[in-house]
Order: sequence, then C-alpha cells, then structure tokens
Amino acid sequence: MGGYSSAIWRCRYFWLSLVKMDLHARYRGSVLGMGWSLLQPIAMTMIFCVVFSQIFHEDATEYAPFVLTGLAFWAYTQFCILNGCLCFFQGESYIRQYPAPMAIYPLRTVLGAAFHLVLALGVSVVLAIITLHTFHLGALLTLVPTLLLLLMFGWGLSLLGGLATVFFRDTKHLAEVGLQIVFYLTPIMYRPRLLQHERLAWLLEWNPLMPFLSLLRCVIVEGHVPSPILFARAIIIVGVLLSLSIYALSRLERKIIFYL
Amino acid sequence: MARIELNDVSLTFRVRPNKHMTLKEFVLKQMFRKPTQPVMEVNALRSVSFTVEQGERIGLIGHNGAGKSTMLKVLAGVYQPTSGRRIVEGRICSLFDISLGFEPEANGWDNIAYRSYLQGETPRTIRNKIQEIAEFSELGDFLNMPVRYYSAGMLVRLAFSIATAIEPEVLLVDEVLGAGDLAFQTKARQRMRELMERAHLIVMVSHDLMSMEELCDRIVWMDHGRVHRIGPSREIVAAYEQAAQPATSQAA
Repeated sequence: MGGYSSAIWRCRYFWLSLVKMDLHARYRGSVLGMGWSLLQPIAMTMIFCVVFSQIFHEDATEYAPFVLTGLAFWAYTQFCILNGCLCFFQGESYIRQYPAPMAIYPLRTVLGAAFHLVLALGVSVVLAIITLHTFHLGALLTLVPTLLLLLMFGWGLSLLGGLATVFFRDTKHLAEVGLQIVFYLTPIMYRPRLLQHERLAWLLEWNPLMPFLSLLRCVIVEGHVPSPILFARAIIIVGVLLSLSIYALSRLERKIIFYL
Repeated sequence: MARIELNDVSLTFRVRPNKHMTLKEFVLKQMFRKPTQPVMEVNALRSVSFTVEQGERIGLIGHNGAGKSTMLKVLAGVYQPTSGRRIVEGRICSLFDISLGFEPEANGWDNIAYRSYLQGETPRTIRNKIQEIAEFSELGDFLNMPVRYYSAGMLVRLAFSIATAIEPEVLLVDEVLGAGDLAFQTKARQRMRELMERAHLIVMVSHDLMSMEELCDRIVWMDHGRVHRIGPSREIVAAYEQAAQPATSQAA
C-alpha cells in the first residue's frame, strides 16, 4: 500500500499535467470557457425552477440553490462513472509503454470532474448567499472534508467503472441506463421529504448518494454545520467503496494490459 | 548498479477469438449454463531464465512470434509474468512503441513535458532538457502545433528525441531505427551509439544480424517462447544463420 501510494506520488507531474491539459481542452483556457461549461447546470436549474414553482408551488428563491447543488453533485458522480469507464482506454498508449501505477488513470478523470464540481458548488454558494442570506463561515469550512470524501468516492467509482469496462465492454452502456434510474430515485430535483413517508422511506435510507447530497445541501442551502452522523455515514460509504476498489485493483491491475 | 535477473519466467496470453466479452453475454451464458466463449491460450514465454550483469549488451534474435518483443515488455515491467520472477535493477529506458502515447490535442512542447514526466523527470530537471529535445527533433515551429496534425515521420522524430534524452541505466531497444527521413536516421543512429555507450546494460531486439554481432556481447536465441540457445554473439549468430539457411534455400 505504502509503496503503491508513493509510486502514484512519484509520477504526480505526469497525471497533474494531464489533468491540466484536460481542463484546458474543456475550458479552452478562458474564464468565459468556464462560464460556458456551467451553462448546462444553470440552464437546467432555471427550467426546474420554472416547472417546480408552477406545479409544486416551490419557492424559487430557495429551490434554485437546492437544485443547483443537487445537479452539481449529480454531474460529478455521473462524470466519474461514465468517463471513469474509459479511463484505461484513454491512457492505453501510456500503459503500453511504462509500468506506471494504474490508479493514476482514474485519478486523472476524478480530478477533472472535481475541478468542475468546485466551480459549480461555488456558483451554488454565491446564489444561496444572495437569495437566502445563508452565510455561515464555519459551515462553509466543512465543505473541505466533504470535498475530500467526494474525491475518494469519485476515485473509487472511476476505478471500478474503468476496471469493469476493460473486462466487459458494455459496462458504460449499462451504467448510463442505471444512472438514469438512480437519477429519479435520488432527491436531486425534488425534495427528500417527498419520499420520507409512505413505503418509500427505505429508498432514502439506503441510497449511498444521500449522505453526500445532505452534507452539501445542509451547508449551502440551509447554512448550518452538518451533524457528525452524516459525516460518519459518508465515511463508511467511502471506506466500503475504497476497500472494494483496492481489492479489485490488487487482483486485476496486472491483467489490464492484456485486455485493452 | 544495473542488473537483470529472470528466473523461470512464463507468460501466457489469454485470447478470446471473438472480440471482447460483454456483460450481457456473460450473464446470459451463465444463466443458461452455456459455456462462455472459449479462451485460446498463447504461451508467449515459457520458463525463461537468464541473468544480465552490469556492462553487458544482450541481443535477442528469433523468428517472428518467438517472443522477443514480449520479452522486452516483461523486462520493462509493462507485462507482468504469469509465473516466475523478474528482477530489474536500475533506471529503465525503453525504446519500443515510441510513436504511441501522444496527446493529439496538445502541442509538441506539452507532449514533450508529459512524456518526460512519465519517464521520471520533474519540472526542474526538464527545463534544461526541453530545449535540447526540441533542437534534436528539428521540428521548429511545428512544436507549437497540436500533435494531431503531425505526419507519422514527425511523430517518430519527436518520440525518438524525447525517449533518448534521458540517462538510461537499463536500455531496452526494439528495432526503432527505421525512423524518419534519411538525414534523421543518420542522426538517430549516432544518438543510439552514444546512448549505448552511456547505458550500463542493454537488451536489444533486431533482425539485423550483422549489427547484432557487432554490438552485442551475448545473444539469446528465442524459439517459441523458449530460450533456444544463449552464448557469445558470433557463435550464436553463426548457428542461427546456419539454421535459417536450408529453409530459405528450400523456399527459393
């Protein structure tokens, strides 16, 4: 483990420069480009705001940061899984030449996604401060550990997605279908309380995305420090996912090249 | 100290004849208890053992498919042996598949940086080298252009310039010299000669028996994944030529 981590660290210049290049390509190296890439979640938020304030009589001022936070998190998760599926193919020519640790390829995917997540959450925070006046420095500081947990979470997802795709080529297609379902089962555009009563409560209880979603919304939308129980849940989920990833990687790492 | 030790190394590729497996196929076949696609096993290397000490130059010869290139990839650590032990001490510089591994959208300068970082450089060590690499490649203003627009020959120039800019201890070479136009080839040969003088240990694959005999101390003759013979270069080359002779005269 220690040796592996230091091998990842040793080639940090390599994966960091690839992340930088990915971001450069995505934003075309301009501030306007960053705004451009935020257009999609913002447009979605506006649509949801109009629809939900009409149909469900949601208060748009409170609903907008709520849904923007949810969408930012969702886009991150989706990107990690779907682009994670391709990570080893993306790095194939490097894999064929140098024995670098395989974990750096999903790491490249995740760091790119995380940068975008931070941008989108930044917009949410500003929006919430303007519309809801929920400025609480202590609460905002808890976003740092939350983001670290999300980074680990995304790394695990990308890694597992990448490994699965190397061995089963239709994984990405199946993941797209699965994500579509999960999107509607997770309170991203609707309020969690819609699921709270009736027989659907278990959906909330067992949804592994919920703790992260709650951690973010608690801070950004409600403006207070999240309860330690939420953190504990998120840590358990990350722990399980990472153990699974490390186990899978240790079993499959040497075989990847033969299946590319 | 550079050193290579292979101890009873075997490598088996598992190949599926009908492209890749999908999850759908896997689940369905499992459900109806049908056998999944047959897997063909290819024994690329079979219990290969040899040691190379500091200062030695080793050549690998053999027919196509004898396992020469696979052997180089095992030595480089790109392929992990299915069984057996591989020990390679020293900083490895591998010259094979070099025209792979460019980021098409990034320009030449950036690609020099990525490649060099992967070879273990840091921003500080690269600063002195990057100019030298650019000069050697003679690509000039093309370096400001995305690599996507490069011709095959330009890519090889760039790749060769980067790959040979490091100080190798263990040098692994797979016939790369047929690279670029004539002027560059001469330059590349010259650079290879310098590199070989500096490297502590060399393993090379080539079909050019003349230069192999001249450059290598010992030669490993591979056949069907096994080490057929190993010994002083002149002796092995002579024996190899003799073995190849009747076959070629019959064919003619």
